[in-house]
Amino acid sequence: MRRRDIALLVVGIGIALLLPRVLYSALALRIVLWALFAVSVDLLLGYGGMLSFGHAAFWGAGGYAAALLAKAYELPFPVATLGGIGLAMALATPIGYLAIRRRGIYFAMVTLAFAQMLFYVVNELRDLTGGENGVQGVPRILPGMSLGRTSDFYYASLPLVLIGFFVAYRIVHSPFGHVLVSIRDNEARAQALGYPTQRYKLIAFVLSGGIAGLAGSLYAIGNSFASLELLHWTTSGNAVLMTVLGGMGTLWGAGVGAAIVLLLEDSLSSVTEAPGIVTGAILIGIVLGFRRGLATALQRAAVLVWARLRAIGAARQA
Amino acid sequence: MDLGYVSVQLFNGLVNGAFYALLSLGLAIIFGVLRVVNFAHGAVYMLGAFAAYLLLQQFGIGFWPALVLAPIGVALLGIVVERLLLRRLYGLDPLYNFLVTFGLALFLQDAMRLRFGIQGQPYPTPDELSASVLLGPVSYPLYRLFVIAFSLLVCVASWYVIERTRLGMVVRAATERAELTRALGIDVDRWVTAVFAIGIGLAALAGVLAAPMRNVAPLMGSELIILTFAVVVIGGLGSIVGAVTAGFLIGVLASLGAVFNPAFENVIVFALMAVVLLLRPAGLFGSREAA
Amino acid sequence: MKRVLALAMIAAVVAAACGAAAPSGGASASPAQVKLNDGKLVIGVINDQSLVYADLSGKNAVEAVKMAVEDFKAKYGDNALGAPIEVITADHQNKPDLASSKAQEFYERNNADIILDVPTSSAALAIAKVANDEKKLYINITAATTDLTGVSCNKYTFHYAYDTYMLAAGTGKWVTENLGKQWYIIYPNYAFGQDMEKSFRGAVTKFGGTVIQSDGSPFPNTSGDFSQLLVKAGQLKPQILGVMQAGGDLVNVVKQYNQFKLGDQGIKLAIGLLFDTDITAIGQDQMAGVVYTTPWVWSMDDQSKQFADKFLKRTGIRPTFAHAGNYSAAWQYMEAIRRAGTDDADAVVKQLEGYKFSDFFIRNGNIRAEDHWVMHDALLAQVKPASEAKEKFDYSKVLGTIPAETASRPLADAGCKK
Repeated sequence: MRRRDIALLVVGIGIALLLPRVLYSALALRIVLWALFAVSVDLLLGYGGMLSFGHAAFWGAGGYAAALLAKAYELPFPVATLGGIGLAMALATPIGYLAIRRRGIYFAMVTLAFAQMLFYVVNELRDLTGGENGVQGVPRILPGMSLGRTSDFYYASLPLVLIGFFVAYRIVHSPFGHVLVSIRDNEARAQALGYPTQRYKLIAFVLSGGIAGLAGSLYAIGNSFASLELLHWTTSGNAVLMTVLGGMGTLWGAGVGAAIVLLLEDSLSSVTEAPGIVTGAILIGIVLGFRRGLATALQRAAVLVWARLRAIGAARQA
Repeated sequence: MDLGYVSVQLFNGLVNGAFYALLSLGLAIIFGVLRVVNFAHGAVYMLGAFAAYLLLQQFGIGFWPALVLAPIGVALLGIVVERLLLRRLYGLDPLYNFLVTFGLALFLQDAMRLRFGIQGQPYPTPDELSASVLLGPVSYPLYRLFVIAFSLLVCVASWYVIERTRLGMVVRAATERAELTRALGIDVDRWVTAVFAIGIGLAALAGVLAAPMRNVAPLMGSELIILTFAVVVIGGLGSIVGAVTAGFLIGVLASLGAVFNPAFENVIVFALMAVVLLLRPAGLFGSREAA
Repeated sequence: MKRVLALAMIAAVVAAACGAAAPSGGASASPAQVKLNDGKLVIGVINDQSLVYADLSGKNAVEAVKMAVEDFKAKYGDNALGAPIEVITADHQNKPDLASSKAQEFYERNNADIILDVPTSSAALAIAKVANDEKKLYINITAATTDLTGVSCNKYTFHYAYDTYMLAAGTGKWVTENLGKQWYIIYPNYAFGQDMEKSFRGAVTKFGGTVIQSDGSPFPNTSGDFSQLLVKAGQLKPQILGVMQAGGDLVNVVKQYNQFKLGDQGIKLAIGLLFDTDITAIGQDQMAGVVYTTPWVWSMDDQSKQFADKFLKRTGIRPTFAHAGNYSAAWQYMEAIRRAGTDDADAVVKQLEGYKFSDFFIRNGNIRAEDHWVMHDALLAQVKPASEAKEKFDYSKVLGTIPAETASRPLADAGCKK
């Protein structure tokens, strides 16, 4: 790990620990989990060049599986979460296998189609899923601990969330990640170099689905319910939105994007009568003004300021 | 379940198909020339319906003039949007324009809600078309037959424009061989605004046709847009004939499927989309991947 | 201590007596002995302020609650509860996760003592869980699901205005007895629609009718088209077409019902859930003659009209039942605090359970202690043609009353285990 990354890591964990103190715990929980979800989208989009417009399928599959397991068998939440991750990855394998055969906007459409099918299927399986009412009253269980309050659950689940972020970080900075980036930049060349590009893409897709499943599982258990909203196409759209807002291909940008979108949604819900106008205008403004995402813009500004400060400091010393 | 019943459902499917065809035709020519997947297409459909409503409410202008005026008005708005927003992002990843139009859809829907409320507004069927005709054993609303006929007419006219005029030639060339067209020295950009306006106008036209039979409300196009995406993908993203054919085809298939199980109407469309993408990635009528 | 208690009880009796009257009385009664936990009362209103239910309740429901607070102060004096009363609000956009997190914020950070309104079943049920975890009050007004007082019931959750059972008990019975016995039911294929279908099927059968067939329509209905079901209705030729769709779907069904001229073929329309806002969207004359069940109509009597006039002055529109229900629930909650002498949730729950009352919105009200369903009379209303309307929002006339007992789901069926 580079020094800068370690510094970032410390800052990140610090923020994660303090978040419920600054905000209220339910919002803090939503932010870290959506951030993890957005990171899973960035993993594909920013590093693999694959825009998944159907990632809600894995977030939702994880959420429903974990919620049902926790409710039916009264499992501790980490165990139920494992179930959620398992289902998400099991689902991501065939969907990924089929989707990676297409590229660009077609890839986006294939993933969207599968996510929509899952949405309707879950809605139809109402004996199991509760249809539009959702799976309600999911218990938050951890032996030896009371998780009645959301802040307790936040800290109890934080290690799992951090593991999720760490896995994403490791993937990106491993040789596997570098091959992925070279496939994104020029697939034909990577192929010519002898890499089985399809297999790389599929593995990336399944891993990304697993991380989304982890986030979704914790989200459902943390909220004490899983509902159809988890699987709606706007959920996929939101995750992409967060990634692009924050800056693709940075991982931490996805987290920044998630925080911005949720803080905006949360504060707008009490302030304005027109959340759509505000969100829409901000989205248009950011795409036109900061195409590489806010995180990248911030990073650049920070670098500029830093260089300036150093120059000033150097001038003083001289 | 007799034959008469099934054939009436066939007509219902054609009515739905008429809307899909108009919407996906606009979406396809916009994508073909601009490489923009217009997420705001559903919102434009809604604007068309509201334009018809406003013309009637504010100026007493009825359905027939609205059929011409509303699409033109909305298309003018489209020109402003193209000049102000989309133009800045050509040549970049299509993702950016996808997001801009997504933001635009949110904006337009919310703006209309603030002005008109969420509930929807009434719009009458034009008197000339309020009768029913006998279709076999069932009496069938004349207005629905009109929707099918009119939409077909517009699609054929669009086909004519695209096949026989200079504008159409550029559109075709740009859709099928964009780089080559530019290389031949044809100034594609000059035609871009016009093409966008036409695509927008077609969606608005679908909105006017929908006003007498669907709820005229700010969110009327918000779910429809996803379905339209599926239609365009099945037809072939850049293919004009494909968009229209797939529109009618899916309208009919979904309606006939619904005869057996109404609940699975939604699944049919997306399952079909997945199958087509996997077997014929460029869509039923697309010649090659255009993305 | 005992003396204080006795005093409080006397005050409670007086307050209850006053509460039964119209909540617009002017003179301030003597301040009761009320002690609030954290020095103020905070009423949270969480509802949809930007999407499908924004017109039904939305920000005007918040206004209604504020009106209730002001009128309450006008009646009992500024010091009615011995402390300031604050109304806070959030737009949940019909997202259950946002609703749940907003509810936690309200209860934990803003010290909200109660949350009101909450349309959309999944959001309504999610907040019921939060209320139970936080041990704070929650009165739902705009959601229709019977689960709130059934499998998801709890000690702190109350259901105030209407539910799917009430709608079926009213419309199902009356239509079967008066308009026709053969029904074809169409419903949107999700929890609400299925609930409605079951309730209506039960009511129709119970009162001597038959359901020839029932069909679900896809949810969400992306195409906005219902023609295949309407053509089927034309084939089946039932006497009654029972429509369980709501909101925009309902508008689409009725527009297309008229287009297919099913009314001319003698197929009458019965609508499960009809809001004033739907009548606006379809057009009053298009809806004329339709019979439906509702907890309240603003023009039903002088008391209600009085409220409606005040509401019109303030908001520019006539109140829907959701607006009136929010006002009434806020009012009855504050009355209960005066009776309890505290805003402590457990004490207020005790005051509410088994409480019998009437106000302009609730008639013959009885808060059932076992499941917290607020039993009250429902109305059978009929949309009148625009020619009979006295003003723009004068949509319906009252045909009759459905007694509270008939309009409430029997306890045995509720399955509530608090």
